[in-house]
Amino acid sequence: MTAASVPLRRRSPALRKAFPYLLLAPAVIYLLSITLWPGIYAIRRSLYTGKFKLDWVGFDNYVTLYSDNVFWTSLWNTLVLGSITLALEFLIAMGLAALVYRDPWVKSWRIIFLLPMLFMPSAVSFLWKLLFNDGRVISDVISRLGFDFGTIDFMSSTALARLVLIVTDVWQWTPFLFIIFVAALQGQDKEIEEAARLDGASWGSIFFNISLPMMRPVIAIALVLRGIDIITMFTPVHVITQGTPAGHTETLSYFIYRTAFKSFDQGYASAASVLLLITTVILAQTLVRRFFRSATE
Amino acid sequence: MAKRHPRSIAATIVLAGWALLCLLPILFFASIALRPRNEIIAPKPIYFPTISTETWAKIWAEWPIGTYFMNSVIAVTGSVFLCLLLGIPAAYALARYRFKGREDLGFYILSTKMMAPAAVAIPIFVLFGQLKMLDTVWALMLVYAAMNLSIVVWIIRSYMLDIPHEIEDAARTDGASDLRILWEIIIPMCLPGIITAGVIAAIFAMNEYLFTLIIASKNAYPLSVALANFSGGSDGIIYNAIALVGFLAFFPALLLVILIQNHLSRGLTMGAVKG
Repeated sequence: MTAASVPLRRRSPALRKAFPYLLLAPAVIYLLSITLWPGIYAIRRSLYTGKFKLDWVGFDNYVTLYSDNVFWTSLWNTLVLGSITLALEFLIAMGLAALVYRDPWVKSWRIIFLLPMLFMPSAVSFLWKLLFNDGRVISDVISRLGFDFGTIDFMSSTALARLVLIVTDVWQWTPFLFIIFVAALQGQDKEIEEAARLDGASWGSIFFNISLPMMRPVIAIALVLRGIDIITMFTPVHVITQGTPAGHTETLSYFIYRTAFKSFDQGYASAASVLLLITTVILAQTLVRRFFRSATE
Repeated sequence: MAKRHPRSIAATIVLAGWALLCLLPILFFASIALRPRNEIIAPKPIYFPTISTETWAKIWAEWPIGTYFMNSVIAVTGSVFLCLLLGIPAAYALARYRFKGREDLGFYILSTKMMAPAAVAIPIFVLFGQLKMLDTVWALMLVYAAMNLSIVVWIIRSYMLDIPHEIEDAARTDGASDLRILWEIIIPMCLPGIITAGVIAAIFAMNEYLFTLIIASKNAYPLSVALANFSGGSDGIIYNAIALVGFLAFFPALLLVILIQNHLSRGLTMGAVKG
C-alpha cells in the first residue's frame, strides 16, 4: 500500500500526478544548473583557444592533449597515487575494524580514530608539509630510530614526494572507511558468529568466511565513495607538492587547475575537464546504480 | 559479559599504536599553535616548546581571523539551510510516492556526488564571474549547497523510508493534506536523519578547497582557504597561525560529530549502512 494510492481530497487528478515532480523540481533544477550547464559550457569552451578574444579551433585542444606528456603523466600519477592510497586505506580500516568491533571499548577507539577526519584537509596538508619537510620532524624521528639519513628532502624524489601525499591522505581519511566498516560489522548477527565458534571455527576463519562476505555491498559503496574522492585529489597536491618534482605528483585535478588558473589556458583545460567529466559521468552512472540499488531499496 | 577478543593483548597493542599515530600529529599541531614563531622551524625539531598564547594577539592583529570565521559560518550554515530547503521535499517525493522516472531522478541526484570538482571548476568560475559574484560568500554558499544536496537528499530519504506508513494513512483519512503530513508528521519523525544530513553537509562544506580557491580571492576567504595564505615574505609559511585556524575549525566539527556519533556511518554512506 503506497501513500499515493490513498485518495486525496480537494485536489485535481492532474495536480496529484504532478505533485511528486513538483517536490523534486527545485532540487533537480538546482543540480542541473551546476552539472548540465557547466558540462555544456566546458564542451563549447574546449573548442576555442585564447584568453580574452576566443578563436575557434575545433578539436585542436584534444589533439594537443593527446600528444601532451604532461597530461598523460598527470593521468598516470592520479592512477598510481589513487590505487595505492585506496588500497592502504582499505586494508588499515578493515584491519582496525576487525580488531575493534567486539571490543568493549569500541566507542572510545572510534572517537580517537575519527579525529584526523575532523580537521580541514588544507590544515592537515600543512601539518604533514611541516612534519615531513619544513619542520624536519620525520627525518628526526627516523634518525632517532637508528637510521641516520640526515635531513631528508622529501620533495627531491618522485617516490618520496608521492609518499608524502599518500601518508597525508591515509592519515586523514582511513577513519572514513573505518567508521563504515565498524558499523557494518557491528550490525551483523552475533548468533551466526557464536554458532560458528561453538563448532570450533577459529576467529580468523569466522571473519574471512562469514563476516567479510556478508559485508560485500557495504565495502563496494564505501570504496566507491572514497575512490571518487581520491581520484579527484587536489588539496594536498596544491598545498604540499604543487606537482614537484618535475610534475610527478601532479594529479589530473591539479593539471586542470594549473592550466586554467595559473597558465590561463582555459580552452585547453576545458578539453581535459570534458574528458574527466565524461569518465566520471559514466563511472557514476554505472557504479551508483550497481552498488546503491541493492543496499538502499 | 561480552567475550574478550581472542589474542586481545596483541590486538590492543595494534589499536594503541594506531591511536598514537592519530594523536601524536594532532598534539604536535596543537603545540605549534601554542609556541612562538622562532621555535617552529629549527635545525632540530623542538618537541617541548615554550608554551605561550602570546603570538595569538599578533596573529589576530595581522590577519582578520574573525572575518574568515564569519565567512565560513555564513557560507556553511547558509548552504546547509539551502540543502535542507531543497532536499527535504525531494527526499519526501523519493521516499513516499510512486511515479514514472523516480529511480532515474533519484540516481541522477546521487550521481552528482561523483562529479569531479575540477571538471566543473572553469564553468563555475565563469558563471559566477558573469553573475558578478566572484569573491562573495554567497557564491561559496551556492556551490557548497550544490555539492552537498545529493548527500542530504539520500540521507533524509533513507530515514523517511523507516517511518511506518500507518501513521500517515491515519492522518490522511482525517483529511490532512500531503504538505501538512510532511510538515507535522514526517519531518519531526525523521529529525535525527535531518540533523545527521545537516552535520555531514556542514563538515564537507567547511572542508571544501578547490571551488573555494577559485571563487574567493580576498573578501570572501573562509577558514579552509584563508590558512593557505598565512605566509609573509621572509617569515615563510606562518605555521602557528595555520594551526590555530585549524583548531578553530576542528572544535565545532568535533562537537557536531559527537552529537550524531551513532548516525555517522549511516550518514557517510548516504543511508546505505544502518547502525
